[in-house]
Amino acid sequence: MPMVLDVISENIIKHGSPLALKGSEVASWAKELNLPAKGEVLFYTGGEYQMLPFIDSLVKTITHLDQGSKVFSMMMGARNLINKTGISPEKMYASVLAKDKDRYNSVCLKAAKLLKELDYEFCYSGNEELYSGALLYELGYLEDMKDYVKKVVEVIKKSGAKTIVCLSPHAAEVFKFVYPKMIEGFDFEIRTYIDLIWERRDKLAKLKSAESVVIHDSCRLARELGIHQELRDILLSIGADVKEAPMNREWTSCCGGPIKILFPELSHVIGGRRVSELKESGSSHILTSCPYCLSALVGGRVKGDSAVIEDLIEFLYRGVKA
Amino acid sequence: MTVDLRKDFVKYAKSLNAASEDKNIRTAISRAVTSYRNTVSETLERFPHTPKLAEEVQEIKRQSIADLDNLVKQAMASVERNKGKAFYAKDHQAALEIALGLIGKGKTVVKGKSMLGEELHLREYLEDNGNEVWETDLGEFILQLRKDRPMHILSPSIHVPREQVAEVFSKFFNKEVPPDIAEEVKVVREFMREKYFTADVGISGANVVAADTGAMVIIENEGNVRLAIGAPPVHIVMVGVEKLVPTFQEAMKVAEVTWRYAQYGVPGYVNIVSGPSKTGDIEKVTTYGAHGPKEFYVIFVDNGRNEMAHEDKFSEALHCLRCGGCMYECPVFQVTAGHFGHTYMGGIGTIWTAFVSGGMEKAAPLVYSCLRCGRCVERCPMSINVPAMIGELRERIVYGKYQE
Repeated sequence: MPMVLDVISENIIKHGSPLALKGSEVASWAKELNLPAKGEVLFYTGGEYQMLPFIDSLVKTITHLDQGSKVFSMMMGARNLINKTGISPEKMYASVLAKDKDRYNSVCLKAAKLLKELDYEFCYSGNEELYSGALLYELGYLEDMKDYVKKVVEVIKKSGAKTIVCLSPHAAEVFKFVYPKMIEGFDFEIRTYIDLIWERRDKLAKLKSAESVVIHDSCRLARELGIHQELRDILLSIGADVKEAPMNREWTSCCGGPIKILFPELSHVIGGRRVSELKESGSSHILTSCPYCLSALVGGRVKGDSAVIEDLIEFLYRGVKA
Repeated sequence: MTVDLRKDFVKYAKSLNAASEDKNIRTAISRAVTSYRNTVSETLERFPHTPKLAEEVQEIKRQSIADLDNLVKQAMASVERNKGKAFYAKDHQAALEIALGLIGKGKTVVKGKSMLGEELHLREYLEDNGNEVWETDLGEFILQLRKDRPMHILSPSIHVPREQVAEVFSKFFNKEVPPDIAEEVKVVREFMREKYFTADVGISGANVVAADTGAMVIIENEGNVRLAIGAPPVHIVMVGVEKLVPTFQEAMKVAEVTWRYAQYGVPGYVNIVSGPSKTGDIEKVTTYGAHGPKEFYVIFVDNGRNEMAHEDKFSEALHCLRCGGCMYECPVFQVTAGHFGHTYMGGIGTIWTAFVSGGMEKAAPLVYSCLRCGRCVERCPMSINVPAMIGELRERIVYGKYQE
């Protein structure tokens, strides 16, 4: 069993974050907004966008330490490796570029501001928010997840919310399909962030000129949750020129993200191929709506490729700011 | 954890990385993917009833797998009634021993392409026991000469370009074979022709078997199978029990859906064999071995399939028609080909590896390289939920919940 998986699952169970990020760190984006802790609608980030630069750092650190056999290092587990080489997790985390940290943290902030702009009222669990545990489900740690979800639900219940709005499709997937099987009375209404934007898309600021963009449908959103037309509706309503890749909607090609930790090279090859496929649409401005897709496509982009890869939130937010 | 999988993981990850840098694989697979998607969408347009028929076949498969024991009994009785001989092989070893018992030593065997054959390492076993065995499918023949393994279940030598084929052929035939596909095909045709008519035994698999009539349905394009099973005096069918359906009519439905999603469009040949060759033309006295084989044997192979049939979460994997469509849609397979596999390949192959060919140790690295992206499910005419099964296997690996 690759130990890195055990490390990640342990982190989730003990610290509520796959990479053991602190709650204060995960919630730092929200400081300026003073969001209430209670309300009807809970805005749920799960710390996923916030975690992205750290995942890359983990992969890079390990790759750097042992050029010969990256996967072997992965399997020794981050923790062993870190102990052996005297690199502290703090140092590794500190190696994350401030600009990357800022970029991914700000996706949450921009998302929240967009919702406010559309007159949505919502609350946020702040420092207490816990990761959904989607990776426990993905990687097969289901028995551990059964205990873990109790903690997550406790935090959610504190908010008094009836509806959970998920920023990540992975969180929406497990809340919708896995939680109800694991915990009795989990009867929250689960919505994706895209749902909310779609409902009030007419209120979004229009583009000044018809920019051409191409949507990378995320597997979870398009196939498990059946959301793909909504993304196009949103973009069309602000006046974007939406191009289509050869494989899209429920036939979308995976970004390679899910195997990034165990097979980083292969994951990059797959991500790079998807970027090329998306560019066949005629647009090099790629928009996605999943944190892992965002990170995997950015990682897979070939050096020197001028393609712009953004989260839909980042793209829409520019209109708000203007 | 009961098994230390680290070594396997390292070796496996290296082979995946190497494959993803292999230009032959990349060119061949992207060509194959484009052609697969085009042919299938074209033929589905031409035969628009197919998706509906596929749904019907899903139900046929569901009922057949639920009634497997009965169907095996019925099919064996049908084969015997047709004057063939039927055998049931519980496992890998039994299947090989039954086959060897029928063939003996010092024989020449011509063989059609069969994934079950790969699963059993049939050719190697027969060779080790003193027989001469020829793969008659062109792709398999190339691999036989290269001592290579298949990289796709339908196009086994997908990774070998014509130049390399020419090299291998020139060496084997001991004459200059140019890197010209038509020439390469021709030289094999001449060589094989003699083998068909001097062979003692022809072996084939079957795509679907009708229990009521004992009819073996074998789909092909090259025409090698009909020669291999028609010319020699003995025909042995080796087939997995999951290929059984109750009736001949249902078998036809399964066959049509199989070839349509397997990119045949309309297959060149569909062989239906139910017994030995016979004639009653002289005085109405039935005599066996007229023009075709005098002896007809069928070995129904279980080898883990029954266990799979009884696992609620995995029985659906037995609905697989082996059309290979899912592999073309798999982002991992697209860059690594058969390296993402053991004997069986891709996501569905991972499930089959765990239960039928290799066991959990061989399956574990594969289990963790699946993206669980779910596009295979979109393509699959049987809508087999492979990502859900991968999730279940991961859970078993994490908690060591499996039999050694």
